[in-house]
Formats: sequence, C-alpha cells, structure tokens
Amino acid sequence: MAKVFIYPTTSLILSDLVSRFGHEPLGSALGIRERIQTAGFDSPPLQVTPEEPKKGLRWAAVEVPSGVRGRMAFIGPQIEEAEAAIIINDADLAFGCMGCARTNELVMFLLRHRRIPVLDLTYPKSEEEGEIFVAAIREFLEKLPKGGKAE
Amino acid sequence: MTEKVRIAELACGPEYSGVQKEINDAAAAVGAEIFFPDISLKDVKRDLTLFGLDVRSPDLKLAIARAKELVEGRIEADAVFIATCFRCAEAAIVRNELRRYIVENSPLPVVSYSFTERTTSGTLLTRMEALTTIARRRALLAREVQEGTTLGLDSGSATTKAIVMRDNRIIGKGWLPTTEVLKSADEAIALALAEAGVKREEIQAVGTTGYGRYLVGEHIHADLIQEELTVNSKGAVYLADHQHGPCTVIDIGGMDNKAITVHDGIPGTFTMGGICAGASGRFLEMTAKRLGVEITELGPLAMKGLATRVPMNSYCIVFGTQSLVNALAAGSSREDVAAAACHSVAEQVFEQQLQEVDIKEPVIMVGGTSLISGLVHAMGTLLKTEILVPPHSQHIGAVGSALLASGFIREKR
Amino acid sequence: MKEYQPRYRGTHTVYVFVESPEVTPQDLSLRAYEAAPDLMIKETCFGLQITGEPARVAAVVKTLRALDPAHIFVKDRGFPPGDVRRCRANLGGARPGFFGHEFELSLIRFISHGLEALPHREGGESALDALERRKKKPLDPDRLKALFEAEEPSHG
Repeated sequence: MAKVFIYPTTSLILSDLVSRFGHEPLGSALGIRERIQTAGFDSPPLQVTPEEPKKGLRWAAVEVPSGVRGRMAFIGPQIEEAEAAIIINDADLAFGCMGCARTNELVMFLLRHRRIPVLDLTYPKSEEEGEIFVAAIREFLEKLPKGGKAE
Repeated sequence: MTEKVRIAELACGPEYSGVQKEINDAAAAVGAEIFFPDISLKDVKRDLTLFGLDVRSPDLKLAIARAKELVEGRIEADAVFIATCFRCAEAAIVRNELRRYIVENSPLPVVSYSFTERTTSGTLLTRMEALTTIARRRALLAREVQEGTTLGLDSGSATTKAIVMRDNRIIGKGWLPTTEVLKSADEAIALALAEAGVKREEIQAVGTTGYGRYLVGEHIHADLIQEELTVNSKGAVYLADHQHGPCTVIDIGGMDNKAITVHDGIPGTFTMGGICAGASGRFLEMTAKRLGVEITELGPLAMKGLATRVPMNSYCIVFGTQSLVNALAAGSSREDVAAAACHSVAEQVFEQQLQEVDIKEPVIMVGGTSLISGLVHAMGTLLKTEILVPPHSQHIGAVGSALLASGFIREKR
Repeated sequence: MKEYQPRYRGTHTVYVFVESPEVTPQDLSLRAYEAAPDLMIKETCFGLQITGEPARVAAVVKTLRALDPAHIFVKDRGFPPGDVRRCRANLGGARPGFFGHEFELSLIRFISHGLEALPHREGGESALDALERRKKKPLDPDRLKALFEAEEPSHG
C-alpha cells in the first residue's frame, strides 16, 4: 500500500478511488482528525492553535500570511510523507483546507519538487472522460509499490 | 434577556491561523454571536460572476458570495465582520471591495480586520463592541444634548481625561498622564470635580471609555462603559456642532489610531489600528523630547518648518527616531525636523488607515494630538481639506461619555 | 487558555455517499445498522457517517461498498458526526468542505460510469496513454465543426 497525496486534499472522488484501489489517500481529513483527537489548548473549530502557523514556518517564511502557514502545518508533513500524488488541476471549487490559492500554489510546487510519481488530471466532464479518469487512476496506482487490485 | 446580535463572518484564513476562537470570544463578550451565512454552491458561482472580482482563493469566493446574499437581503444579519490574513494582497483587495460594497448597498455596519496568529480576542473586543453598539443601540447613539450633571472619563493608554458636564455645558476638566489606571482616574475625576465646583454625590450618571474603561467603570460604578469608537464619534460631532450629515473623525492616539466615517452622529465604517508606534502620538512625544521642547510647542515649531527638507521614515519608531537624529546631526533645522515628524505620522495614518474608510468632509480631528497644529496641517495637506479641530478636542472621549451617560439619568429615577 | 480534551480518541469517521438508482440512503443505513451494531452511525441527506474503531469501520465500509460498488463513495472525515464545531446548526451555514462535496457530487455520475466501464477496458488501450494523447492533441477542426453543427437547432 502506497501513501498517495490527493489534490484537492478534500476530494471525495480521489479519496474514494485511491482507497478503493488499495492505497492510502493522504488528505486534509487526516490532518484535521489528528488535531481533533489530540488534547491541548482549546481552539475550535479545527483545533488549529496559534502555534500551528509557527510550525508552518518550516514551509513558508514569516512574511507569508498566517492562513498559509497554518494550512501548511498539516499539509506539509503529508507532502513529505507521500510516495505518489494525484492532482486534479482544475479544482477551483474546493474550500476550507483548499480555500487559499497561495497555499495551493505552494502545495503544488512542493509536490512537484519531491520527484515522486504524479498523475495530472482534470475533472471529467462527460462519461467518456469519466472512463479515462477512473481507468488512469487505477493504472497509475497499480504501478506503485505493493499496488492493490480493483475491487 | 435580549437577543444576541448576529454578526455574519466573511473570512479567509482565521480557522487556519488559530484565531477563529478569538473572534468568537470577542463577539460573545459583547453579547453577540458569529455566524456563517448559509449559501449553496450555485449561489457562489452566480454571485461571483455578478460581483465581477475574479479571485483565485476559493474561500474568498465564498466570502464574496456570502456578502452578496447579505446585501440582497436573502440572509439576515445585524452586522458584518470581514476578516482575512494580514499580508495577503488578494485578500486585502477582497476585504476592501466587500466593505465598500456592503456599506454602499446596505444599512449593515461593517468592520474589517486583517489578523495574524497573534491576534487575540482582546484586540478585537473594541471593534466588536462598536459593531454591536451600532447595530443595536441606535437609541443610545441618537442623543444630541447633554442633560443633568454627568461625568465622563476616558482612561487612555497615554493620558486619562475626566469631564463634568451640566445642562449641555462643560463645567470641569481633568487631564493627567496615565500611570496607575485607577489612581490616574481618581485624580482626573478629582480635578474635574474641583474645577466644576461639584461634589461626587451631585453626579447623576457616569460614563467611561478608553482602554481602561472596564476596570475604571467598575471602580467608579459607571452607568455606561463604552468603547471609544462610538463615544469619540459622538463627542466629535457634538463638539464640532455637526450632529447631522456625514463627516470623518480621525483620532491619532498614544497607542493606536482611529478613523471613523460618521453619519448623523452614528459611526459607519471605521478602522482602528497602527502597526507601529511610529505612526502614533508617541512618536511625536519622542520628537518633542529630542528637540528639547514641550509637546505643546511641537506644533507651532513644525508650522515654521518645511517637511520636504528632511528625509524621515517613522514607519518604525526606532528608525523614525534615527532619521530624526541623523537629520539634526546633518544640520537640519529644528523647525524642519518637527515638520517632517508631523508629516511622517500623518502620512502613515493616511497610507495605512485612511484608505480603508471613505473620507467624507468635514474631517474632524480629535484627541490630544489634534492640538499639535503641525500634525493637523500635515493631515489637511494630505487630504486636501481644511481640518476641523473642535474646542476641547483633547477631551473627546470624556465629553462623549458624559454626553451619552446623561441618557441613563431618567432610567435611574 | 482553556484545556481541550478530545472525545472519540482513536476512532475513525468516514462519510459514505450514495448516488445510486438502486440503493437509497435509507437502504444503506439499514445495512449499516445490521452490519455494525457496535459502531456509531449517523444518517445524512447524502448517505451516512460511520464512527468507530478503525478496522471495524474499514470492514463495514467494505460490506457497504459491495451493495453497489459503482455508486457508493467513501471519504475520511476529521470530525466525529454532529460535532458542534462543524455542525451547520451551530455555524449558521455549511462548513466550507460541504461545497467541495456538493461540487464533486455534481459530476459523480461520470465516475460511476468510469467504474462500471473498468471491466470492459481489460486488454484495451492504456488509459494513461489515452490521457497523454488527449493532453497533447488539440481538437481536430473537422470534429469541432461537426460538434458545432450538431448543436445547431433545426429549422423547420
């Protein structure tokens, strides 16, 4: 099972397909879950405390807005952990964890910089495109170490 | 129990900066609650096209759509709070445009703020308090005449001011540098009472404002504890005898600066801040000290000089002071240095804050710094307008408090 | 600062979306209750949320997916169900992630089609190659013309 970073990190489709084909999707839900399940100082809603943007300094300098650094605090480690990535390039309507364009540009850059296998896609706009979209993801995932078979 | 003031939040970034809780806490502290206007994806797509600002960040798209739903009345709110990350250019454009759009197209009071991870509920409290006051306490703000015998106290970061008023006239004043908050308040009150020839028992109602308003308010059993944005607006239009129509109130304070657009004595949009003390009254105090003059002499000195002869950058109080020392060492005249210091402060406020409010004439300057003629002149030059400095402008908060407090006399009877 | 003590520590929560002509969210929840009396199950307008011990959640997900593999979709969730911090009832409006789901669900039928078509692709052209070809190849002018003509309303 390979760890596959999904972009948008909030994607239902990518999260589903990656785990359906036997791999582990790395998305923002995991970062949020980790924070929601860790005791500390109360900082609703996401349990992202003011300390997180400081942790984000590892990926972005202090003059970068706090919202970028706070997001990087949980997306950054996942990028470093990822063994592959699937990117949907026209994800313009993903909000929250994906709500900041500057963060998304940085995430995209760091992913490409890692030199891990990356599959570039766009959202399917027809059944024909849907067919290639799903099949391409399966093929891409099958080539990864210890790839699983489709259910 | 009165219903909570509902503040719609239009934001990008606070949840990821660890400051959403601070926003919620600040709202809760003034009897308000934050909510996120409920819209659908369809609204986002449609509103974004209609608004016409093609931004990249999805959360800013969401903010634009939510603003549009509020303005068009599909979602009800009492006030709007716009919050985006400090140093984000994209968000700054959206923040400004949304604020302008809401103010021009709806009666909703708006405050916008750019936060960092260090923003606390304390920083936001004054703004939230002003927002809820404007939204819900219009009756309080409608007062135009002071009645009975009242006391107003402004516990500021640099100075403490007290005013005793009777039958719409100022009869006693007290002014002191703030040292210990309560002690300074007691002394300022004693001075004002003595000048007025009034005993404490004769005071029918008390109002407090300024940084120390809660502490002092409790100490002297104030009837009204109110932030300085609304109080100063009321005080300014009252003293300038401009209670009707639009105006802009500027208060360059010891710790932060306020710029407020006012209509019929009620604040509309306002900004409150000051990134660095270089753009505050504190810098002018340091300048006066370095030039060996009293702060009261700095203004007239500056009026005799020419600011353009001295390169000065007071963005930071340390570098600003350095510029000042360098200029003096290089042979600049004290007059020119004084003028440059005044110009520099005015320019910082102009660049950093006045861009965020739509300046409406007349422009009224208040607070201690409004007595520094050089600063008023510099601001007038920048804004290309004759600035109005009302009598007793240095006591603005105390006057506003005394005026508003008189609304509580009847209640007490 | 106030201390925070998490609830449901060590659990996993997943969303189960169903967009099927045959399986309704009600069917799905019935099966989930049968398969997992030990898990926390919350019915929603789009399907379910399931919370519990990670291996158990994974097993139930597998059972549910089998009901209609091409029309049931699963995603991890950071929050347990009904958490006031993320609940619409408390926020006044939907959490930001909701709109992203709304968007993806609008094209989920293409994914369903893709999943159903998978068995028919065995031994055929590589989808990755097809993807590359599509990226490189501009649309043929004749095909474009044909598309335009096909769109034209008929007169008469």
